[in-house]
Amino acid sequence: MALLETHGLTKSFGGLVAVDDVDLEIERGESVAVIGPNGAGKSTFINLVTRMLDATAGDIEFKGESIASDDPHEVVQKGVSRSFQTASIFPELSVEENAQIAALAAEHGSFRFNFLRHRDNYGGVERLASRTLDAVDLLDQRGVTAEDLPYGDKRRLELGIALASDPDLLLMDEPTAGMSPEETADTVDLVERVKAEMGLTILLVEHDMEVVFDVADRIVVLHRGAVIAEGSPEAVQGDPDVQEAYLGGVEA
Amino acid sequence: MSDEPTETADATEEGGAVVERERTEREFPSWERVRESELFVIAITTVALAVFPWLFARAPVISGVLQGYQDLATLIVIWGIFAMGFNLLLGYTGLLSFGHAAFWGGAAYAAGVFSTHVSSSPLLIILAGTAFAALLAWALGFVALRRGGIYFAILTLAFGQMAYYMALSPLSGITGGENGYTGVELAPLLGSFFLQYPVPGLDWLVGTWTYVLVGVVAVVCVAAANRILHSPYGMVFRAIRENDQRAEFVGLNVWRYKLMAFVISGTLAGVAGSLFTIYSAYVPVQSLYWTTSGEVVIMAVLGGVGSLFGPILGAGIYLYVENVISGVQQLTLPFTGPGEYVTLVQEPVVLLEGFGAYWHLILGLVFVAVIVLFPRGIWGLFEDAAGAVRRLGSDH
Amino acid sequence: MGPRRDPVDDRTKLYACERIPNEHGGEGKFTSRIESVRSGDGSPGRDCTDSEDDRKRLGGDGVLAEVLTVFINGLQQGAIYVLVAIGLSIILGTLKFVNFAHGALYLVGTYVGLLVTLEIQLTDGKLAEWGFTSIGLGWGFLAALVIVPIVVFAVGLLMERFVARPFYDRPDTDQILLTFGLAIVVQEVFKILFGGQSYNFARPGWASGPVDLPIIGAFPEWRLYVIGITAVLVAGVYALVEFTDFGLVVRAGTRDAEMVELLGIKLSRPYLMVFGVGAALAGVAGVVGGPLYAVNPNIGTEILVPAFLVVVIGGVGSITGAVLGGILLGETLAILVAVAPQWSQVGIYVLAAVVLLARPQGLLGSEEVTP
Repeated sequence: MALLETHGLTKSFGGLVAVDDVDLEIERGESVAVIGPNGAGKSTFINLVTRMLDATAGDIEFKGESIASDDPHEVVQKGVSRSFQTASIFPELSVEENAQIAALAAEHGSFRFNFLRHRDNYGGVERLASRTLDAVDLLDQRGVTAEDLPYGDKRRLELGIALASDPDLLLMDEPTAGMSPEETADTVDLVERVKAEMGLTILLVEHDMEVVFDVADRIVVLHRGAVIAEGSPEAVQGDPDVQEAYLGGVEA
Repeated sequence: MSDEPTETADATEEGGAVVERERTEREFPSWERVRESELFVIAITTVALAVFPWLFARAPVISGVLQGYQDLATLIVIWGIFAMGFNLLLGYTGLLSFGHAAFWGGAAYAAGVFSTHVSSSPLLIILAGTAFAALLAWALGFVALRRGGIYFAILTLAFGQMAYYMALSPLSGITGGENGYTGVELAPLLGSFFLQYPVPGLDWLVGTWTYVLVGVVAVVCVAAANRILHSPYGMVFRAIRENDQRAEFVGLNVWRYKLMAFVISGTLAGVAGSLFTIYSAYVPVQSLYWTTSGEVVIMAVLGGVGSLFGPILGAGIYLYVENVISGVQQLTLPFTGPGEYVTLVQEPVVLLEGFGAYWHLILGLVFVAVIVLFPRGIWGLFEDAAGAVRRLGSDH
Repeated sequence: MGPRRDPVDDRTKLYACERIPNEHGGEGKFTSRIESVRSGDGSPGRDCTDSEDDRKRLGGDGVLAEVLTVFINGLQQGAIYVLVAIGLSIILGTLKFVNFAHGALYLVGTYVGLLVTLEIQLTDGKLAEWGFTSIGLGWGFLAALVIVPIVVFAVGLLMERFVARPFYDRPDTDQILLTFGLAIVVQEVFKILFGGQSYNFARPGWASGPVDLPIIGAFPEWRLYVIGITAVLVAGVYALVEFTDFGLVVRAGTRDAEMVELLGIKLSRPYLMVFGVGAALAGVAGVVGGPLYAVNPNIGTEILVPAFLVVVIGGVGSITGAVLGGILLGETLAILVAVAPQWSQVGIYVLAAVVLLARPQGLLGSEEVTP
């Protein structure tokens, strides 16, 4: 059984079909990249899987169970975590608190009646948070207010937040967008390392082909919301349909 | 706040240098740590509340300059609880409610009706009013949180008004409608202390038993609010304020936490509303009108939404201006004219005639100025000043 | 004038009341009397000066007449809501700006309208203290109907430029707090200048009496004018948004401001226009509604809550939604006033709650992306 399966997943906004009848399977331990020209529906696809958007049609199964009518936090609780295109962090909290919030949700579930217990009583949360910050090399900056971090560090913190949710499947929406070549290389290393350490399955949406070829075992090409090619990086690179879509598209 | 270092096995291994530095800091418990420990907060609150009515209403010179009086001191503490509870929602969770009059007034009516028909014991009255406000907050929050962001303010405003019109007309058989609720009955506190009587031996300090009751309840409320802010809820609330989408996508049920913040906040407003019934032995229907919600908004913002105590300060300033400054006929330069403690010039230098009439406008202008210029409010200004002084001190 | 009734009763009949002016005055020039001196401080509700007798005299016979009267009253009440709510709704939808000071624009519209239309006698407030005991142009109602929208349009532009624009990037709560503060300041300024009491905004002579309608019988003519003026204005705005380039930007901006920006249309000018048009409509509502209710500094904040309800019920950004919501709200009020007056005010909130639970985005609102 695949970790994540979509069946005929479709999303239309008014007349525009952003995601068109997508069937996708991701096996445990795989790294899959979704690529495609601008407006191909890549981000929409991630937003559908994480339940940020309601699908117009189709089904999403995670670990063999439909999550198509769950709330976003329920999906996260089941083990699907995500990062956003922009560094989506908690700007006025410390780096450590940023990670602790995600760790709290991972350790305690989506909601609890514990408003009269002191936070210092939760050692497990702090341990998970520190471990994650260590993994993304931010432990030294844990006391820093998140908004004061340089941009690259903010992106790493964002990844740290996603990891502190203790996911099985990590969805990343353009993790290297806006990064310098060095930062991009560091991020690729980081992703490879945490994937190995935490036994993650990864679904990646990315523009940067170098990142895609470094990270992905398998590539899925979306064009106008539909899957036009799928396979190993080498196979996809040689696919005439893909070249057509990219040449005809807005940008590569 | 636990920005404080946490020493875990991993942390010691990996972040050696950092941990080293923090250890040396720990040998001297920092001012921050002391200030934030719970017992310290409770102790300071208790002392401040005990001294306040004396300073405000009876201390030589100070009280004369301030022209404060005992009843106003009591009222300020009651509204202080209300504003503090309101701010758990606005300042810490980032939700702006314009319907808190429903909890304040709802609790006030429930307390009043309870006192007439069930028990006139002050403590039970407070419990009854508070419980009613908590239930009401649950129901109202359920509807108002149906839609996020900007709608919340609009919907709380709307359903707060609904409570007002309910009390005004369909329920006027119970509430007394336009005339307010007049049947409040109050038994002695714990069966032996008459609320309006002075406290034997301590009346110079705290005044009446009413104030003692209000003060003790206020300490309990501050302790509870402080604890909530240092519980996991406190962190989740702030996370929601900062980025509620992200909070949802780390797996937190943001909706339920918002509802809890609303209920907790409404409950504290209910405590204050119940105390108001005990204080005034009467419930005016205006206590449910939306201007009451507006007042608590102004108090919290004026005082400072970023802290636990700012809104209490804001309540003090607002009520002081409303009740004392509004009676001032002329705005004169300090130390001019007769009747000042230090008179430099016998002839008063009048800056503004009929000054008192402008009080509401002035508060409105100050409120706007605070939002534009000092979003952290007057308490925030104090904190900045204290920080500057401390930095100066440490430089030497 | 009928006898003063018990105040509770006054309030429950708030929207049913009808003011019959005693003096009709000369052509386009009227003198207003001070209706009653009230504290105006936190005390809600409007004065209403008609009596049961007046209304009986106005109404015809039979159930059908009764029903039709209620229906037209509802339309008229809804019309005022619609005018205020359209601006609120398009500003919220296009600019994502929550304007708690929108009621202040209504307030400005009413007072400016009053001063353009009539000459009024002041007894209270700073203006009277400063010697302006009799002010106003006395140019009549039609002049007000032209001048007020222009004035309030300008006020709206200033508000966009100096209040809203600096706060577009601030959190929603800051926008609300700021405009709430502004609403208080405007209200207080009017209270200080004109005093807290209510003024009577007399109807224009050509529309002050009853008109004979089929079936219904005698009906206050002014109410029909309110409905008519509103219909014309709404049609105009609808055409503006539906058929002009300005409207295209507004409609596109409601959906996705970023995309419009990408397409190279600079949005600051259209935004300014949206704010101005919305403001002008609220100003007109103040003039048209002025003769229906007592004029005092609290009317701005009082109209704001029902206008918000209309936006919530109809759906944000939709003009059709605002019209539908306004009429629904007006009719609900009118029906309840006729059938169960003590529930009339509560009823509109219940309606809003029901719509919200059944259809959170409002009747004609588009689907919202939930976080």
